[in-house]
Amino acid sequence: MGTINAAFSIMTQALDADQAALNVVANNVANANTLGYTTETPNYQENQPLEIGGVSYGDGVTETGATSVRDRVLTERLNQQQQVASSTGAQLTALNTVQALFTPDSGSSSAQAGDISSDLTGFFNSFSSLEANPANNSLREEVLSSASTLASDVSNAAAGLNSQRSALDQEAGGVTSQVNSLTGAIAQLDQQIQSTSPNADAGTLEDQRQQDLSQLSQLIGVNQITTENNGISVTTTAGQPLVSEGQSFQLTTGSVNGVTHFFVGGADITAELASGGGQLGGYLTARDQDIPNVLGSLDQLAFSVSTQVNALNNAGTDLAGDNGNAGDIFSEPALVAGSAAAMSVVMTDPNHIAAAGAGMGTGDNSNATAMAALANQAIVNGATPTNYYANFVSQLGATVENVQTENTAANASVTQLQTQNNALSSVNLNDEASAMSTFERSYQAASQVFTMLNTIMASVLNLGEQATVS
Amino acid sequence: MDGMREMNRPREGLEIRAVVAEASQALARLDADRLEELALACQALNRDLASNAGTQQMQSDGRRSDETLARQAREAAGGMRAFRRVLDATRANLTVMRRLRQLREGKIEYSEAQARGWTPSEPDYGDN
Repeated sequence: MGTINAAFSIMTQALDADQAALNVVANNVANANTLGYTTETPNYQENQPLEIGGVSYGDGVTETGATSVRDRVLTERLNQQQQVASSTGAQLTALNTVQALFTPDSGSSSAQAGDISSDLTGFFNSFSSLEANPANNSLREEVLSSASTLASDVSNAAAGLNSQRSALDQEAGGVTSQVNSLTGAIAQLDQQIQSTSPNADAGTLEDQRQQDLSQLSQLIGVNQITTENNGISVTTTAGQPLVSEGQSFQLTTGSVNGVTHFFVGGADITAELASGGGQLGGYLTARDQDIPNVLGSLDQLAFSVSTQVNALNNAGTDLAGDNGNAGDIFSEPALVAGSAAAMSVVMTDPNHIAAAGAGMGTGDNSNATAMAALANQAIVNGATPTNYYANFVSQLGATVENVQTENTAANASVTQLQTQNNALSSVNLNDEASAMSTFERSYQAASQVFTMLNTIMASVLNLGEQATVS
Repeated sequence: MDGMREMNRPREGLEIRAVVAEASQALARLDADRLEELALACQALNRDLASNAGTQQMQSDGRRSDETLARQAREAAGGMRAFRRVLDATRANLTVMRRLRQLREGKIEYSEAQARGWTPSEPDYGDN
């Protein structure tokens, strides 16, 4: 190559490289608002130097393509935190609906489950009133009326919980098609990436794959593993493959004991999906753990109150003179499970309320006294009925608060990581260092705020007031 | 003299719960300036408490200031738990970011490209 031609070639190559770089920049600008698009930076490769008259001259650079400024570690962390945020968000929404059922006076006129505590008090107080005048018909009517209010509110609460569980079951099942659509798309993209860019960043194809992975992370808990030739495998957090070697494995559903279960191949992965994260994890945790726990407590309350009251009524003498066989006030439950939903008043004649003790005359009130005293006896799992109810509502509140805390933290974490991800994808190294410095400053200042607030809490504690921060 | 009394009175209207909630939000946004302001506010509140220790001051509503603070602290307890969790998550995120920066600066030897080209070596054990 002649000297002038060589110099000209170096210049034109430099111009070509600049033009290619400008194209990359133009592409970045054009896609600035494209969701999931990652900014590309031009790659330059140094050309072989030229030997002219024994002197080596640089031969310029050639633009060899663009590399997306993405960091898989950061995006994986972002996806992981997104899974927690989505899971706790879905669980929190479900729990708030459950909690609303037990908030006093919050329900509709037909389902004021929140009034169960006052219903219990009213029911046992009606026996206290009957003690004073055991033959009084209106006081007897009042006992049945308050029993009916209690049974109705308990069974309405159980119906509300079962209805909420069914709604969650439907929502959970609906996630399946979205998951399958995304894993199918990821598998296809993986095939394309492996065939077109086995050793280099695949640009927009990788953006698309990342975008799909991010959406998948919002739906279920997944792990992603980088494989050879720029491919990825996607598994559930427990390791069940969803995408592998360009192939997707479909999630299917089936009904098991009346609720939707999830399968890959023949394996039932419902339990691992519940603990894995994502929206589906939140739905399943609420459906399979939170609601059954609340329903179990309500069942226990209904079972204990019904069986104890019925037993006492059948041990006394009613106004018709029935001694030891006055009959049940509530429907007698055979099992604890289902007691709340089935709770109802079966006694229609108030004369069958056995206010008198066994073998006593109808003017006696000793059995009414015993039934009123149930209010203060540990008849429900070692607690009085009202204390048992108060404890379980309080535990529900604590669960909601914990999930709220986790959700707040996960959302904050997602916001931080998105900020950093944007900074990484769109700025130069100096700006990135500045973003990092802001991150460090924020953390240090927040640590100071936390420490000082803790000190303030401790000071308040010294003032003699209890303030617990754990 | 009135001015001195004013200075010694705990800052009425400064709700601890609101400070905690704002700190969590500012940390989520990585708003370092706001967090530093909040740190100064907390320092001032701390000073107020220290200078008023042992005294029982009455507020305009007739309640004792320490009672008000105790109530505020109880109300802020849940927010503090959330703030602590946000702080924990931030620390984990910061660790990830520090490692990434070290990776890009070449302070850590392995890289993504190396990982892609990585092939398992023969095991040193159990191959007989």
